[in-house]
Amino acid sequence: MNRRKVVAGAAVVAAGYGGYRFVPALFGPRIEFETLDEPRGFRRIAGGRISTGFAPFAGISSASAPDPLVERAARIVDDDICGALFGASKTGSDVVRMASFSDYYCPYCRVQTKRLSTIESRSGGRISVNWHELPLLGDGSQLAAKAALAARRQGAYAVFQERMMTASFQTTPAYLAAVSASLGLDYDRLEADMSSPDIDLELHVTAELARRFGFIGTPALVIGTTAVQGEIGERVTTELIKIERDEQRGTCA
Amino acid sequence: MRRFPEGQFRTAVLRRVVAGALALAIGSGGVTAATSDAHRSPALVATLITAEKGVAPEATAISAGLDLTISEGWKTYWRSPGEVGIPPTVDWTGSTNVAGVEFLWPAPTRFTAFGIENFGYHDEVVFPLRISLLDAGKPARLNAKVNLLVCSEICVPDDFTLTLDMPVATGIDAAAAARISDFAARVPDDGTASGIEITSAFVAADRSALTVTARSERGFAAPDIFPELGSQTTFGKPDIRLGDGNRLMWAKLPILGSAGDLPALAVTITDGARAATVEPALSDAAAAPPFLLDRIVPGVSEVAWIALIALLGGLILNAMPCVLPVLSIKLASAVKAHGQTRTRLRAGFLMSAAGVIAFMWILAAATLGARALGLSVGWGLQFQNPLFLAAMVVVLALFSANLYGAFEISLPASWQTRLARADGQPGLSGDFVSGAFAAVLATPCSAPFLGTAVAFALSGRPVDIVVIFTALGIGLALPYLLVAAAPGMVQRLPRPGRWMVWLRLMLGSLLALTAAWLFWVMQGVAGTAAVAGVAAGIAALVAILSLRRLNQTLRLGAALILAAATLATPAILREAPSAAIGPETGWVRFERREIARLVSTGKVVFVDVTADWCLTCKANKALVLDRDPVRSALAEPDVVPMLADWTRSDDAITRYLESFGRFGIPFNAVYGPAAPDGIILPELLSSEAVLDAIDGARGMGATASGG
Repeated sequence: MNRRKVVAGAAVVAAGYGGYRFVPALFGPRIEFETLDEPRGFRRIAGGRISTGFAPFAGISSASAPDPLVERAARIVDDDICGALFGASKTGSDVVRMASFSDYYCPYCRVQTKRLSTIESRSGGRISVNWHELPLLGDGSQLAAKAALAARRQGAYAVFQERMMTASFQTTPAYLAAVSASLGLDYDRLEADMSSPDIDLELHVTAELARRFGFIGTPALVIGTTAVQGEIGERVTTELIKIERDEQRGTCA
Repeated sequence: MRRFPEGQFRTAVLRRVVAGALALAIGSGGVTAATSDAHRSPALVATLITAEKGVAPEATAISAGLDLTISEGWKTYWRSPGEVGIPPTVDWTGSTNVAGVEFLWPAPTRFTAFGIENFGYHDEVVFPLRISLLDAGKPARLNAKVNLLVCSEICVPDDFTLTLDMPVATGIDAAAAARISDFAARVPDDGTASGIEITSAFVAADRSALTVTARSERGFAAPDIFPELGSQTTFGKPDIRLGDGNRLMWAKLPILGSAGDLPALAVTITDGARAATVEPALSDAAAAPPFLLDRIVPGVSEVAWIALIALLGGLILNAMPCVLPVLSIKLASAVKAHGQTRTRLRAGFLMSAAGVIAFMWILAAATLGARALGLSVGWGLQFQNPLFLAAMVVVLALFSANLYGAFEISLPASWQTRLARADGQPGLSGDFVSGAFAAVLATPCSAPFLGTAVAFALSGRPVDIVVIFTALGIGLALPYLLVAAAPGMVQRLPRPGRWMVWLRLMLGSLLALTAAWLFWVMQGVAGTAAVAGVAAGIAALVAILSLRRLNQTLRLGAALILAAATLATPAILREAPSAAIGPETGWVRFERREIARLVSTGKVVFVDVTADWCLTCKANKALVLDRDPVRSALAEPDVVPMLADWTRSDDAITRYLESFGRFGIPFNAVYGPAAPDGIILPELLSSEAVLDAIDGARGMGATASGG
């Protein structure tokens, strides 16, 4: 009887451990969607706890006079929201396209950006990410965003992004000059590009997109036709990619 | 942007003002609330509060606070936010009758998320504000344009303006005053009142790390450290160790990034409710840590879990081919001695259990001693030592010969009588030895649980090591303890008879097989010549011992000399290690650097750490790795199977295992573009696990290699 008790005890312990270890994985939360009225053809994950209540774009100074740049940005988005979101380049129908909105001063953006670029690089070309700069966190983040877009004009967006994401910094001209030098970029050109109207317009287009999707902060993400606000885990990200790939919703096909 | 608490005395002044105000508050009925309208967002509720209900006549200053109630899951940041994030800023433009505002920062909390260190506040914080007035005793208006960053899984800038009119009035808002003084008490001081003194601070010449020591005669409980070295310098997670009865704190922080000239260092140390910020002078050398321990002390529940695993592991060891014979011999002797009393049986089995546990304690002590000497020790490592192997082979061969009836092992008569006199029950010491012997034999059988428990033990505290080895011993001794608990079980075993001869022969064969296996291991470790030498020595030993006509003393003496000579042979005849790798085609030799290079070219690398003496590794190889579908999966062009042979001690492999917190094998890992840090496989492999890991390491879309 003694032995029976020991065996029973061991079985209970083993079952308990097994249950604790494996059962929760079977009951992951299901993803549910909510159709967006605007922009048409898109949806978002339902039940997010952050949706309303913040003043949208507290960080962006809203000029009271109509800004011609804002109007131009709005027209660009009206004409071709898919191009504005995912970039002009056409891709095959088996490619899931993503638009990432991030800020160099936002801790969770680092996590999200690293994750997305890993997902993109290991997808073998079946996922493409278009990176948007949404600098909401003050002058330093504005400057960093412009520098990143200027680096893109020298074909160095990815290395610049990686550099900014792996170090702590205060964006100052001296810091940007040092980074450009170490990445082999032309700093004079970078500086000139940073104040160019092109980059200003690009930032405004991103801001307009964020406004339309109701993004109130960073990070934010559009995967295919699904808008996501906030940092989501690896599991939800890959799940959404899979859903978008399977459903082939035609909004931006 | 960044404000240091220039004069800590001001904090003290503020505390005194607030305390005085609190005293005044008693008895004064409230008319006006000294609180601004609230700003509400999903992340926080913010108000401006003041201790005074208005500007008292002649008053030159107001004690105020920016009061944030932060929603669950949200946080905001300290003046040095860490790797990323931005601190709150307040613009007082638009205020009237305000000469200046001193903004005080209560000590922060550390947030670690995804490897990013941030410092700030959650739940609630009040930033104490000392507002000096332009005109004493005149009404004032506070207009605070607040700009702060709040983050949960999303970061949102929250910009808002709070206004508060301060008419000329007397009286104190007791609740606000209490709140302000509560948080003012959390603002770090200069170390005087908090009793924290920084004794050294050293920045490595290559700016790789900062080492700080601090003392507190009150003793530290759970300190944390927040250094500030310019806005471009960030620090990783601190390694904090306490010493000298917790009066000494030693901390080392990796410097993750820095640029330009370094400004003066400011160090904030927090410990519970007290905190101090000091600008220490830099030392010339790093202070030595109070003790060497590379692991954070585990909790009690974790120890209990690991002990349970060790117990199960020990129990399973009994079924291993290298231990089963000992248990069988033990049971056979119980059968033979049918006439024994229950008490004698019980005592015998208890002694065997004690032998097992005693050996485990010896192992624990040896582990502790070796660790104190800085050696790396691992389970099964003794099988890399040819001397140990030779000793084991000699003992096993002699036992086997004894079971075959070649000779009788008997202690000298004088010993026997002495033992008999000592406890009246001859043979108990033999029981003890057979228990210890079972434990010795169990060491090569690294059962699945064992690796985990031993790795934990080796990197844990001394008490963990003792707990784990004891649990292992109890597990291994469980069958003996069961018989001791119910000696009746033995009565049910069959009566002695002719079958016992066969049993003896069978057990002898088992021991001989084990010896043969050890020979094979030894051949891998020390070479064929050593094996031949030891085999010859054993043959001579057995021959001498079976010469019954010889005088017993002479016989034993000769046997001892021969045994010593046999043990010496592997050391003399040991061959130089051969550089060649195993005969398997397709496997490449383990090279840690190669893994990263291969992965970067899109290859999947399968690492198998194995050794000739590792039975579980052999089972993995025979049942999984050398069979389809795994064999063909490993043969695919984008898969590189890599073999690390640990049969002989190899520092590179030992360090590799240690990097995963492992001290025993089998160990298998799969690297690939989607798993640059490797996917660790379970000790007992299965085809599915290996294939899943290979697919997982390849990543999604297996058609093309990742960039």
